[in-house]
Amino acid sequence: MAEKEKLEQNQKEKPLSFMAMVILTGLIGGIFWSGLGYMAYLFNFTDVHPNVILEPWALGAWKKQWLGTVISIVLMGVLSIGVALVYYAVLKKMKSIFIGIGFGIGIFLLVFLVLNPIFPGIKPFRELSLNTIITSVCLYALYGAFVGYSISYEYQEQEYRENQEVREKEVTS
Amino acid sequence: MTNKSSVEKLPIPSDPSEVEQFMKDRVGLGESFDLGIRKIKIHKKDVHIYSVNGLCDTNFIIQIIKELVELNDNENSHQDLYDLIQNRLLHQSVQPVKLMDELVDQLLSGLIVIVMEGETEAFAVDVRSYPGRQPDEPVTEKVVRGSRDGFVENIILNTGLTRLRIRDERLRFEILKVGERSKTDIAIGYVKDVANTDLIQIIREELEAINVDGLTMADKAVEEYLVKQGYNPYPLVRYTERADVAATHLLEGHVLIYVSTSPSVIITPTTYFHHLQHAEEYRQSPAVGTFIRWCRFLGVFGSLFLLPLWLLFVLEPSLLPEELKFIGPNEKSHIPIILQIFLSELGLMFLRLAAIHTPTPLATAMGLIAAVLIGQIAIDVGVFVPEVILYVAVSAMGTFSTPSYELGIANTLVKLVLLILVSIFKVPGLVIGFTLYLLFLANLRSFNSPYFWPFLPFSPRACLEILFRKSAPGSKIRPSIVQPKKRQKQSSSS
Repeated sequence: MAEKEKLEQNQKEKPLSFMAMVILTGLIGGIFWSGLGYMAYLFNFTDVHPNVILEPWALGAWKKQWLGTVISIVLMGVLSIGVALVYYAVLKKMKSIFIGIGFGIGIFLLVFLVLNPIFPGIKPFRELSLNTIITSVCLYALYGAFVGYSISYEYQEQEYRENQEVREKEVTS
Repeated sequence: MTNKSSVEKLPIPSDPSEVEQFMKDRVGLGESFDLGIRKIKIHKKDVHIYSVNGLCDTNFIIQIIKELVELNDNENSHQDLYDLIQNRLLHQSVQPVKLMDELVDQLLSGLIVIVMEGETEAFAVDVRSYPGRQPDEPVTEKVVRGSRDGFVENIILNTGLTRLRIRDERLRFEILKVGERSKTDIAIGYVKDVANTDLIQIIREELEAINVDGLTMADKAVEEYLVKQGYNPYPLVRYTERADVAATHLLEGHVLIYVSTSPSVIITPTTYFHHLQHAEEYRQSPAVGTFIRWCRFLGVFGSLFLLPLWLLFVLEPSLLPEELKFIGPNEKSHIPIILQIFLSELGLMFLRLAAIHTPTPLATAMGLIAAVLIGQIAIDVGVFVPEVILYVAVSAMGTFSTPSYELGIANTLVKLVLLILVSIFKVPGLVIGFTLYLLFLANLRSFNSPYFWPFLPFSPRACLEILFRKSAPGSKIRPSIVQPKKRQKQSSSS
């Protein structure tokens, strides 16, 4: 029996809990979209380098090198967990993908208008090039949709599954 | 339609000559050569046998008639004719018929119908033998190793091929007839305790609601009734001609639609990533399968974005980082690059279209003309710069590496739109186009399932299964996209 349990086919996979899914979505969403942002920076679509996130702090020279880039992308992921949790707490019942897009654009405005002075790497809003603004808005909108829509969809799925189980029990009993 | 059916709801008259008259008036007995009647007498009563030649097996019919005629010698004449004949019909599938329209339906489906004097019921005997080919490897989904029996045009053989792989008592094939004139058989296949009841219900209702003369384009026509996709180019259902692929999807909780006269089976619900999978990945070791899959993703990604990106860098070379400055056309040409790309894309489309209907003996000649003459000479003459040919060719190879033909074409369309956007708006065109494209895909739904799942909406575990092809014992959870009743694959452990 013990032997049997060890076989790969006999191990059970636990479905992810909703909270774990939210945290993972936030983390991966942050890493993926800031990674894409870095690609956009490489090809000069935008002037904003992901490591602007490290700029407020005085760190070693490495923060301008590739290590800085990697760490800032990971850091974006960690910060993004917080963003995902905020969406989870406030907006999870919204069904439309457009809420997520709006959420993303909201974060864009927050970062580029309100928090702008914290980041010396981001020029004041009026001085940003059109390409930079458009690329950033699009990235944030996609990011918002990614985090928001995923959480909303999972929430609906959870509800649907509970309903389904209740109905199944009614049928069998 | 209502008027017509009310007329045909008449019962079968007890006099076979009345039935014959009905057949002459309504079904064209004597006018159509393929409808036949054989009259015999059993114990001095008329027995008429109707058949449609071409759809039934003559040997069976001869056997049955022989047995019936021998009743005259072997049985005494006081017995009830109905019981006597029912007892002597040498076939496992004999069905009593009460209404004339049912009788005609059965007859035109290829069954033989036996009408007896003095009886208001007739017998339909299933001696069908439809013209068709044997299961064969599907041309569109080949594998290096693996089963070579693909679906054929015969729905019975198709469900049989599936049943061969899933001998589960809970596998269901619900059959219904659709089409006022064609009366096409459509079967909904699913595993009862796994597939989502709501999905089955939706599909059943949609199929029953189809009101059309005929479904001569079979599965494609059915798909258009089911998903109502309008002018959205993306395929909202997946087709397969492979029985093993169909069986795999059944076990995962998908609902399949088999349409008679088509060798493709419709898989619902489907996502974008379903169209990127191929049986070959599952015929190789997980590592190799994963590698194949990543190459394929790269190819598909390239088929979409390589050309627009390159065009952008040609139009605005300042975007390129220092290390990649060498990219871009080295020669100048008189024709704008965007026009060159469109011309060569058009040429490729011609080639694709021509390849479909060119007879095989001419195909080599066509390839030669297309590749050598047009490609090479166009560069020599100075119509195209070599780079255009290179990038268009790479992106076309990406399209060919897309396992689903439908998805490949849809991606080509999107690529052309992106190219136009880039040529007009440069960077904003590409970025906004990319964003709208992703959001468009994410917002699409196929039977209530998000089309771009598991990437957007994101599902960590399913995404991992898409990125890495898991080994068979390791893949234990059914994809949540089908909203299965049982999430764990092995029922014994749940």
